[in-house]
Amino acid sequence: MSEMIKKNANDLNLNFRYEIAKKVGAKSLLKCIQCGVCSSGCTVTEYVDLQPHRVVASCLLGLKEEVLSSNAIWTCSLCHRCTERCPKNVDYSFILALLRNMAAKEGKIPKEYSSTVEVIYDNGFVVPYTEGMKKNIDRRRERMGLPEIVPPNLDDIRFIIDETGLGDLIIKKEDDK
Amino acid sequence: MTKKGNKFSLFLGCTIPLKMPQLEKAFRDVASILGVELKEMEGVSCCPEPVSLQSLNIDTWLTLGARNLAIAEKMGLDVLTICSGCYETLKTVSVLLGEDPEHLKKINEILKKINYEYTGKVTVYHFVEILTQPEWLKKMKSLTIKPLDDLNLAVHYGCHLVRPSKIMRFDHPEKPEKIDLILQTLGAKTIDFATKLECCGYCARLQEEIGEKLVEDKMTELCELEEEVDALIAVCPACVTQYDRKEKIIARKTGKELDIPVLYLPEIMAIALGVDLEDLSLSTRSVKPNKLIEKLTT
Repeated sequence: MSEMIKKNANDLNLNFRYEIAKKVGAKSLLKCIQCGVCSSGCTVTEYVDLQPHRVVASCLLGLKEEVLSSNAIWTCSLCHRCTERCPKNVDYSFILALLRNMAAKEGKIPKEYSSTVEVIYDNGFVVPYTEGMKKNIDRRRERMGLPEIVPPNLDDIRFIIDETGLGDLIIKKEDDK
Repeated sequence: MTKKGNKFSLFLGCTIPLKMPQLEKAFRDVASILGVELKEMEGVSCCPEPVSLQSLNIDTWLTLGARNLAIAEKMGLDVLTICSGCYETLKTVSVLLGEDPEHLKKINEILKKINYEYTGKVTVYHFVEILTQPEWLKKMKSLTIKPLDDLNLAVHYGCHLVRPSKIMRFDHPEKPEKIDLILQTLGAKTIDFATKLECCGYCARLQEEIGEKLVEDKMTELCELEEEVDALIAVCPACVTQYDRKEKIIARKTGKELDIPVLYLPEIMAIALGVDLEDLSLSTRSVKPNKLIEKLTT
């Protein structure tokens, strides 16, 4: 359970719910009836600071900062039971992905997530596939009689990452080095 | 059979071909025995991985996915996946973009700059979906050389194969039976158990203890069942790795005797269809399936 917070009505971000709901898949946010089915079936319910139904309530109330800095949005195991069982068809899985996108834009990204993107940027794959690694993998595959890997053109992959706005994240990381 | 016949473009992903090629070998052996024709997809990237890419930027995730589908579209074939993560990503991308032509148009504006286009004509399948069609099950039965008659198997479906059902449309989201059906066709007995549909916890990245608790709960239940379980069967490389590695760690920490081997579905299928055990590299698993092999060879 999270601590009780007190907030003035003026400090609530009343537009937050619409910021989320304007995305096609997230419009269902507005239909939540707070029944709690999502939280009762949630795989990680005992590990999060805000349970799923409370994340939704917080979005509806306009507690943007609290939601985007909660551990709940990143702790999810992506089992999708919440979305499957919701009697009002609220797509919590998609809403959560959107909230993570928003937090990421503000630079709030756990390293467990950002490191994967760097590997894809450098290799086109989520597993390192250059030089020594590549040699070992290729040798092992050849021994098993498996066909050669034809990797993607990295310029294409980087172009897509840059063009869709994720490139900034990589550049920021490069600057940090 | 699908509208486009028995031929598919094979999407391997990253983890299986680069880290666990023995799983790919088992699947290719099974496909070749059954007569599923596979075409290699050259130049595909990571699907991309549904956990982090989608979390950081949904548009990057959709566009990289659409580029992979564009490659299959150019080949004139549907996509066959062998990993639940790839299946979730590519199927979701194909369904979402199929329902939202405006979004597809935007994505194509980016793709066209690198000479790709996706028009939405690709269907994405998981191999279990294809092989549970009646004609394949019949063929599988007639080609079984080493029936799994004496085996008692537990199935782990994993989350991304079946949920959310409005997108995956694969099997019942809370009571799936397709993998059980394949194993029963090969002669094995499959069991029902309380934690059957529980998540493996691999994707809960921030807290190691979540995964450990989930693996401990499932493996403890399986070990305490009255009838001995010969193996846990999964269809995703992440689930296989998670149970196989964590099982040993938990046994050491808690003193519990957890020693149920974890097999990738095509591995046990390959055994039944007569592939030489030597070719399957099952000894690379942390929990060696020695007892299971003994049962099958005596």
